[in-house]
Amino acid sequence: MLERGGETVTSAHKANLSVIGDQMPVRFERPSWLSNILCALFLLFLLWSMSSAGLSLSDLLEGLPNMATIAGEMVPPATDRAGPMANAILVTFQMALVGTVIGILISIPVAMLMARNTSPHPIVRHVARSVVSFFRTVPDLAWALFFVASVGLGAFAGTLTIIIDTIGFCARFFAESMEEVDPGPSEALASIGASPIDRIVVVLLPSAMPSFINTSLFSLEKAVRSSVVLGLVGAGGIGAELAVSMEMFRYDQAATIVIMIFVLVFAVEQFSSVIRNRLLRQNV
Amino acid sequence: MNSCAESLTMPRSVLATTSQLKVSGLAKRFDGCSQSVFSDVNFTISTGQSVALIGANGAGKSTLLRCCARLIEPDAGSIILDGEALSSKSGSELRKARNRVGFVFQKHCLVPRLSALTNVLHGNLAHRSGPRNWLQGFARQEDRGRAMDCLNQVGMAHVADKRCDQLSGGQAQRVAIARALMQDPKMLFADEPTASLDPQSGDDIMELFSSLVKVRGLTLFFVSHHIEHALNYSDRILGLQERQLLLDTPSQSESLPSLRAFYA
Repeated sequence: MLERGGETVTSAHKANLSVIGDQMPVRFERPSWLSNILCALFLLFLLWSMSSAGLSLSDLLEGLPNMATIAGEMVPPATDRAGPMANAILVTFQMALVGTVIGILISIPVAMLMARNTSPHPIVRHVARSVVSFFRTVPDLAWALFFVASVGLGAFAGTLTIIIDTIGFCARFFAESMEEVDPGPSEALASIGASPIDRIVVVLLPSAMPSFINTSLFSLEKAVRSSVVLGLVGAGGIGAELAVSMEMFRYDQAATIVIMIFVLVFAVEQFSSVIRNRLLRQNV
Repeated sequence: MNSCAESLTMPRSVLATTSQLKVSGLAKRFDGCSQSVFSDVNFTISTGQSVALIGANGAGKSTLLRCCARLIEPDAGSIILDGEALSSKSGSELRKARNRVGFVFQKHCLVPRLSALTNVLHGNLAHRSGPRNWLQGFARQEDRGRAMDCLNQVGMAHVADKRCDQLSGGQAQRVAIARALMQDPKMLFADEPTASLDPQSGDDIMELFSSLVKVRGLTLFFVSHHIEHALNYSDRILGLQERQLLLDTPSQSESLPSLRAFYA
């Protein structure tokens, strides 16, 4: 009986499987011929790029003794110009801080013009997006050269560069985070007659705040790193000191600068991590 | 608040004499859809009435409710709310007309990172715009007191300083009702207010609605999938089926099996 029962169940199961079999999805989709061609083209381009990038193991091996010599000359780091260097690193941080704060303050209204759910008109949105995209795609060194030529050598050119760089970065991410906010609470306030400004302030800004805080703090870290490099083209800060030390083969001084840069960037990252956690937990 | 005090002394039979909401010839079809969601919908809700709207999934209940507040634009028809033609208004006039209607949604639609008290205070934005009603820290003492009173009425005063993303579904829905009370509305729209809650919390929320409607003399228009809620907490039941309003009946004259048949 059991055997017969078992046979009945098995045959019914097989019949079911044959019916379901037609509807069973395949485990993996076979890539289309177009995808295969694109993959092959990408691999060919990557191989070509590797030869154009000048990758060379022999050059690397030949350069190793030089690296060891320079590294040897960096130890011990020089402290003879510690005072001016400390001042330069402070200016570097101040450039980054002021540039980032001003950039963030400008980014918030610009992001509102860019976001689909806050922009007053599609044309305004497209113009704002294009301008911010331009700010972002031009490298910060190019902006620094432009501002050095416009307003002269020094920290002001660097600060202007960081403002532009911050707007290009923050406005885009602020706009995206506002677009991702759940529309429910805004609709709820619209249903009782709240004005659009009220809805932006009480719904969009608080809801997007965690993303704003993350983006802003990341932007500060990014600005500190880039403000170091800006000095290399005369836009103020510790970069100028680093360029002079390297040109004069004072690798021991360069080592001191590198250590200072590391301490600054590490401190800013730790500080922003603490601030981020505290702000995100806050009740309002 | 005065209207609340007056309504406390006003018998429901007296309240239910004038029309609060009159909908005529309402129709809606979404872009890209061959069929309309509903067409030629007509009904009137009197002051102080509690009316349930039922119908199968996709029947257009939520769309109809949203059309009544013009959160979704209807294609045709007129909506008269509290004696004023809502269909002809736009911009600030429409916003002003909407401030008489409180709306409670299926998902509470509170701002998650703000405290319960701040969210309740936002009900005031229906009447007064500006920073004084953005955060509880900026609010007038009188408004803070009123917001706490609304929280107290829904039994949530103890969570006033808690962030809304730390509240349970039932607690959040109560806070959303408190926000609607803060607005001091004449009418409440509720779109499946118990759909995301467990059965006990759902019953509690409907009890709360029922008592607020009685105490404040509010008019209630709610969408529900729970036939029991429609039977127990409404004076009248409307039913949408096949794009038409095919049911409009006093809830006392209906039974559970007859309403179940409406879904068949």
